[in-house]
Amino acid sequence: MIVAKQKPIEEIIETLKGYNKILILGCNECVTVCEAGGKKEVAVLASALRMYFMNQGQEVKIEEATLERQCDHEYLEEIRKTVDQYDAVLSLACGVGVQFLAEKYMHTPILPGVDTCFMGVTEERGVWSERCQGCGQCILAWTAGICPVSRCAKRLLNGPCGGSSKGKCEINKEVPCAWQIIIDRLNELGRMEDYERLIPIKDWSTERAGGPRKVVREDVRS
Amino acid sequence: MTLQDRIRSGKFVVLGEFEPPKGADFSAYLKNANLSRGRVHAVVVPEMANAVLKASSLGGCAYLQREGMEPVFQLCCRDRNRLALQADILSAAALGIRNVMAVPGEDVRFGDHPQARAVNDLDLMGLLETLQKLQTGKDLAGIELRGVPRFCVGSTLDTGASGGLLNIELEHLKRKIDLGVEFVVTNPIFDLRRFEQFVRRLDAKQTAVFPTVLLLKSAGMARYIDRNIKGISIPSEMIRDIQKAPDKPQECIRIAANIVARLKDMGMPGVLISTVGWEDKLSQILDQANI
Ligand code: SF4
Repeated sequence: MIVAKQKPIEEIIETLKGYNKILILGCNECVTVCEAGGKKEVAVLASALRMYFMNQGQEVKIEEATLERQCDHEYLEEIRKTVDQYDAVLSLACGVGVQFLAEKYMHTPILPGVDTCFMGVTEERGVWSERCQGCGQCILAWTAGICPVSRCAKRLLNGPCGGSSKGKCEINKEVPCAWQIIIDRLNELGRMEDYERLIPIKDWSTERAGGPRKVVREDVRS
Repeated sequence: MTLQDRIRSGKFVVLGEFEPPKGADFSAYLKNANLSRGRVHAVVVPEMANAVLKASSLGGCAYLQREGMEPVFQLCCRDRNRLALQADILSAAALGIRNVMAVPGEDVRFGDHPQARAVNDLDLMGLLETLQKLQTGKDLAGIELRGVPRFCVGSTLDTGASGGLLNIELEHLKRKIDLGVEFVVTNPIFDLRRFEQFVRRLDAKQTAVFPTVLLLKSAGMARYIDRNIKGISIPSEMIRDIQKAPDKPQECIRIAANIVARLKDMGMPGVLISTVGWEDKLSQILDQANI
C-alpha cells in the first residue's frame, strides 16, 4: 500500500487561510490502513480545525466526507454535484488522489492534508516501512525476494557495502541491512549461487529517471 | 617509474593521501604535497571522504599532476550518475592521470550536507565495469570513443569485516579482480596480529593489497577510533604507549613507522600512509621505517 502521514496541523491551517467553507475528504484505501487519511482521521482533523477556528473567532465551516478511493474517476464523481459549494477541498488521500481531484475539478483549490511517504507494509500497528520503489524492472527473482533498490540505503545491487554491522545498516542502527537479509535468505534457500551472479548495471529508464510513467494495456482498454 | 610499473615489478610502494581543501585556495594543499615529494610513489586524492564537501578529487589530481606528482583519482557512485562518471574518467585520462580508484563512498547522511540527494546510479561493481568498458574504447552505451583511456585501477578492501561478511568481502575482492582491479587499499591497520590472520586468507598474487597506516595524533584519538569505528581495533598497549610518552607526537610517529616496517617485513607490496593534517611528519615516518 501507499504509506502516508498526516501533515502537522499548523501547516494545514496555513494552507487553509482565507477559505471559509472547507471539505475534508478522506479515502478508504491505503491511507485508511496506515491511519493517516481514513474516515476516522477525517473526523479527528475536522474537530481539531473547528476548535481552532472557533478559538480564533473565525467563522469557518468544515464538512467531512470519505470516498471509496480517490484514484478512480468513478468514486471522484460522487462529489461532482457538491464540490462547488466549497472554497477548498483538503484531501487526506495520497498525492495520487490529491492530483486526480485537482485534474478533475478545475475551479476548486485542492490541498493535501498528508505527506505521501512510500510503498510499504504494516509491520505492526503504528509501524510502517518501505518495500518497493516502483523501479519498473523487478529483480526480486535474483535477490531472494528482498529488494535492494528500496531497502539498501545505497541501492547496491551486488552485495553489501562495508558498513553493514550485526545485520544493521550503517546509516541507521534501527534499519536492517537489506543485503544481510538477502544473504541470510539465499543461504536458507540453498541458492547462494544467485549471489554469485553479477547483477548487470541497472537500466533506470523505467524508474522515475525516465520521466513520468504510464502503463497502457490495449487488451483491457475500453 | 609509474605506480603501475612498480606494482607489476613487485617493488615496495608508498602511497600518500592528501585530501583537497574545503575552499578554492590550494596553496597549503600543494605545500603539503610538496613535502612528500620524492618520498611517496603516488598520492591518493580522496573524493569527499565522509561525504564532507571539499574540492573534488579530479581537481586535486589535476593540481598534483601539474606539479609533476603522480596522483590516484578517486571515484565514487554517491554523487555522480553514469554520464558524469564517464565524463570525469575521460577528462582524467586526458589530463594524464594514470590511476583511478573506485570507492564505495560514505552515505551523504554522514557528511555536512545530509539533505543532499544521493545518486547511486551505478554501484561499485558497476563503476568498475564502466572503467573496464571505457578502456576497451567504448562507452557504456557501446559508442566508440576518440582516444582510449588507460588506467591502473584500484579499489578498497575492508579487513575489519567479521564472520560471514568476511567471506562476502573476499568474494567481492575476487569480483573486483575479475573487473580489472590491480590494487586495493585497506582500512587503517593497527592490530598486526589480526591483520596477519586476514592476509593468510588472501591469494596475494591476485592483486596488490596496500594496508593503510594512519598516523595517530593522541591517545584520545586512538581511543575514539578503537571504540567508535567499526572494524578497526587499536591494541591497548599502543594507546598506553602514547599516553605515557613524554613527546606524544614523536611516539605517534614511532608507532606508525613501526607498523610500516612490520607490514613490509610481512611481505606486503606497499602501504598507504595517511597523515591527515600532519603531512610534515611523513618523511620522519619513512625515515624511521627505513624506507
Ligand atoms: S549497510 Fe546494507 S543496507 Fe546499508 S547501505 Fe550498506 S549494504 Fe546497503
